[in-house]
Amino acid sequence: MILLQITSSGSTVSTVLFFGTIGMLALTIGLIVFIIFHQRKVIRYQMRLQRMEQDQQKLLLNASIRLQEEERQRIAADLHDDAGPLLATARLYLNENLVNLDKTTQLQSIYNAKQIIDDTIQLIRNISHSLMPPTLKNFGLESAVNDLFQKISGSGSMNASSRFHDYRERLQAENELIIFRVIQELVNNILKHSSASFIHLTQNTSGNKFFIRLHHDGRGITQSDFNKLNKSNVGLGLKNIQSRLKVLHGQIFFEKDMSQTYYKVTIELVKEEMAGPEAAL
Amino acid sequence: MLGEKAFYSEILPILFYLVFLKRNRGEGLGVIFFYCCFSWLTENFFISRLNLQIPGYVRDSGFTILEFTLISFFIYSSLRGRILRFIPLIGALIFYPIAIINFTKEQDSFDSIPASVEAILIISYCILLLYEQINDPKIIFVYNTKKFWVTIAFFLYFSSTLFLFLYARNLTRAEFDKYWTINNFFEILKNILLSISFIMKKSSKNAYPEDLEPDI
Repeated sequence: MILLQITSSGSTVSTVLFFGTIGMLALTIGLIVFIIFHQRKVIRYQMRLQRMEQDQQKLLLNASIRLQEEERQRIAADLHDDAGPLLATARLYLNENLVNLDKTTQLQSIYNAKQIIDDTIQLIRNISHSLMPPTLKNFGLESAVNDLFQKISGSGSMNASSRFHDYRERLQAENELIIFRVIQELVNNILKHSSASFIHLTQNTSGNKFFIRLHHDGRGITQSDFNKLNKSNVGLGLKNIQSRLKVLHGQIFFEKDMSQTYYKVTIELVKEEMAGPEAAL
Repeated sequence: MLGEKAFYSEILPILFYLVFLKRNRGEGLGVIFFYCCFSWLTENFFISRLNLQIPGYVRDSGFTILEFTLISFFIYSSLRGRILRFIPLIGALIFYPIAIINFTKEQDSFDSIPASVEAILIISYCILLLYEQINDPKIIFVYNTKKFWVTIAFFLYFSSTLFLFLYARNLTRAEFDKYWTINNFFEILKNILLSISFIMKKSSKNAYPEDLEPDI
């Protein structure tokens, strides 16, 4: 600056002053225009991202509504196709003519009706259990998962085992149900699509995180497949998993094991998000 | 002629600040209002009309120091980043010794060096503040904020007058008067931009469309 002042003289000063001022002005205006346009670009990008997220949420919402409807239809079908005919048959046994029949036939009819009513009770209990497993309600996630895996193993089609390493305190009931449903959905998918010979589930915690890992040796999906299916209109079950985990601010990762032999599904949750009200206190 | 217009244009931001006092309250623009008043009162035109006997170097140097102090304070209070806030403080450590030395030694000419240093520092501060504003996720449209227009006013004014201040000491009286037009023109522009800032509503419209409200 001082150097410029010393070396300048006469017309050189005027030229430098003129071009300097013009240059500075051009730079300033250029910078302001750049800031405004850059900001507009950033905003447009953010809005696009926001829109994409909204579309994704819409997709998840639609999936969960469809799933709910399917569940209702299944319950309606169970009640209509199984409980309905059973109760109708029981009614036939107990019709008005029963009083006119002989004692032995009356007793036989009552016995048959009782049998049918017992079956109906069992059927309704099964429907109710499929809606809310009693083991989960009474004994928690660990018992419910063990129960589910024992049933799968018991069927002989697959070897299923589970191990909970750090589950001393139960989570909030509704959160346990969400996690159980996610596990159920994943296990269903493995049973339906993977042709695996075993499933192994482990639970553990690390710091603030709560992990559930599922290993199986069948055909699985990777994270990119999961993302692709999530964005498409197929993969209703996966969308359902995603929307359930969103409630818990959880994440799910699909990957192939290091040995490239097994598929691994990891559910990652934050402990505070799931703790019961007493834990929050 | 332009000097007279520049003098009258100085009244605009003062007037608009007072008229729209409610809009400007709590926006950190009080210091700019004070700067406008001070700038108007120290105008050559005003002083000559009132026949005040203030030596030129006292008025020029005093104005430069106070102008730098007020704008630096505005920038300092507008910056949010803890590290960025150190920069005006470092700038002050550079500026004040130069200004004081110049005031004691160079009493016969325009305070070219302090004014140039001030211009460079204020330009840097403006870039800094704009950088922070575009990075602030709470500010969606930067030009919807009052502080953006104030920053732009100073940014434009100081970048266009930097070379004028730099060479002012080397100019003859006639040349100085000729080139001072640049200062007058950009002073008018600065006052218009400051007036826009004072007139505009508080940044209530500074938001995404309702259906695209971000999670911030």
